[in-house]
Amino acid sequence: MTLLTLAYRNLLRRPARTTLLVFSIAIAFATALSLLALSRGIETTTHEGAEERGADLTVSQVDASDVFSGVVPESHAAKIAAMPGVRGVSGEILMFTPIDDERQILTVGMAENSYFWGAMPIADGRKPEKDERWVVLLGQGAAQALGKGVGDTLTMFDQEMKIVGVTGYRAPINRGAIVARLQDVQELAFKHDVVTLIHVAIDPSLTLAQAEALGAEIERLGRVSASPTEQLFSRDRNVAVLRAISQVTSFIALTMAGLSVLNVLLMAVQERVRETGIMMAIGWSDRRIIATIILEGVITGALGSLLGIPLGFLACGFFEYLPTIGAYLDITPPLDAILISVAGALALSALGSLYPAWRAVSHTPADALRRA
Amino acid sequence: MGSARPLIALKNVSRAYDDGAVVALRGVDVAIDEGEFAVITGPSGSGKSSLVHIMAGFDRPTGGTVFWDGSPVKNLRAWTDLRRTKIGVVFQEFLLLPTLSALENVELAMVGTGLSTAQRRGRAKDLLDHVGLSARLGHLPHALSGGERQRVAIARSISNRPRLLLSDEPTGNLDSESAAQVIELLLAIRKETKMAFVLVTHDEEIAALGERRIRIKDGLIVEDEAPKARAVR
Repeated sequence: MTLLTLAYRNLLRRPARTTLLVFSIAIAFATALSLLALSRGIETTTHEGAEERGADLTVSQVDASDVFSGVVPESHAAKIAAMPGVRGVSGEILMFTPIDDERQILTVGMAENSYFWGAMPIADGRKPEKDERWVVLLGQGAAQALGKGVGDTLTMFDQEMKIVGVTGYRAPINRGAIVARLQDVQELAFKHDVVTLIHVAIDPSLTLAQAEALGAEIERLGRVSASPTEQLFSRDRNVAVLRAISQVTSFIALTMAGLSVLNVLLMAVQERVRETGIMMAIGWSDRRIIATIILEGVITGALGSLLGIPLGFLACGFFEYLPTIGAYLDITPPLDAILISVAGALALSALGSLYPAWRAVSHTPADALRRA
Repeated sequence: MGSARPLIALKNVSRAYDDGAVVALRGVDVAIDEGEFAVITGPSGSGKSSLVHIMAGFDRPTGGTVFWDGSPVKNLRAWTDLRRTKIGVVFQEFLLLPTLSALENVELAMVGTGLSTAQRRGRAKDLLDHVGLSARLGHLPHALSGGERQRVAIARSISNRPRLLLSDEPTGNLDSESAAQVIELLLAIRKETKMAFVLVTHDEEIAALGERRIRIKDGLIVEDEAPKARAVR
């Protein structure tokens, strides 16, 4: 006979109620976990995408509110390329473009001299030839989503483009994107002589201090910031908003779970006033009675978390079928998001048990024993 | 009331309910000595149960003081400690937790007393064996007869080897045969342990077994027969 045994037996007294409570916690847990995974997925996917393409630093307009809205002079690419320690540069326009008037797809307009072209894996077809206009390569995810392949055409801003290849990238963001010539995208988007970003590959022999010095030198070009590519979205307003919404929604979901625990345990405690009186009568301290009730809350929180983990993975799997995000993001709950969600669920379940526990010991033993 | 330092003493204790509309005890003075066997009798509503509830610390008096071993019992925590280690209680309604087996109900009283789980289990088995329930260890209360339930409650009440056993109408819910067995058991335990025993009853036959009789009426002690050197039965 331990506190755990007693808490467990109490929960088993009303199996239907306990099961419903565990399910409500599990759903809240899964919501929190999948939303945290979604916001984290943006960062990890960007990082994976940049790593796959071989970018070290990304130069963007200083204090641009988001990645897509920044403007950097295209001429900066040549200046950066001339700096010591720079292995390659790639001026790019990054934007969502309307394809076949049906859907918006992430499009990368890549400069002809971009170092990315050299390492680009090709799954089918070929890369654009020199000075070839109005051609695109599709990521395999984009090809699948559009149902198109090499030799087909698509329209981008009413301009017909020929699909000459399918890239063999594996990172979700690269798989979901269309790669076009920078010149073409600049013309279609009325963004002559400017790019959204300049990716920089640096000499691997550079020390951290030298890489930081290079970043500082790039920033001296004026009104641009140079940051490690994996941090590309760290200052992005849209991502920040999404992250905030995810966190707040997660918190609300877990709080609702905590309130469910409060509600159910309050009912249970009111039903068991006389039994609480018995425990008091045989010398159980208030603290021990409170601990038993909190333990009941924590057990339901733990069971809800246990069930919520597979539900969370299921929800993330569902996200991948959403065309707006599923094509670009790998939304797999990372371990730290699981641990944060478990900690949150347990803490809020324990918090939700506090008031019922306090109510349970608010009677004198005589009052409690008088209850029918 | 014999010794200068009784085990438990109530001095001028009053208990009123509903803002004084109902008065259960009116300035009661009573003391129980170590090893004493006192019987409290009186008509329904006379204040017997209120008196025992105050002796057990279940209820706080609205006036007066309760002393344990010569010292006033100051707060609820002190009462909880006393009930855990020095005061056992047996009531008419058995007061067993319905989700726990007979064995677990007895073990429950020993949680927090410093005994290990194995020690608690071992002592609970011994006690249930002692009260004749070794074949009913795993039974839930609803699967036990009234007499068996009361025997579980008795085993639980003595599990921490108390110095005072308070028993409020322990046979009130039992048939005459079970009632006789329960009383016999309580008396046997009292004889073995020499603990003080306060028994509330309105059964004259049972009351006659006590060494001292305290009669209560309308919240006042109207008769407190001095301890007699009766043989413990």
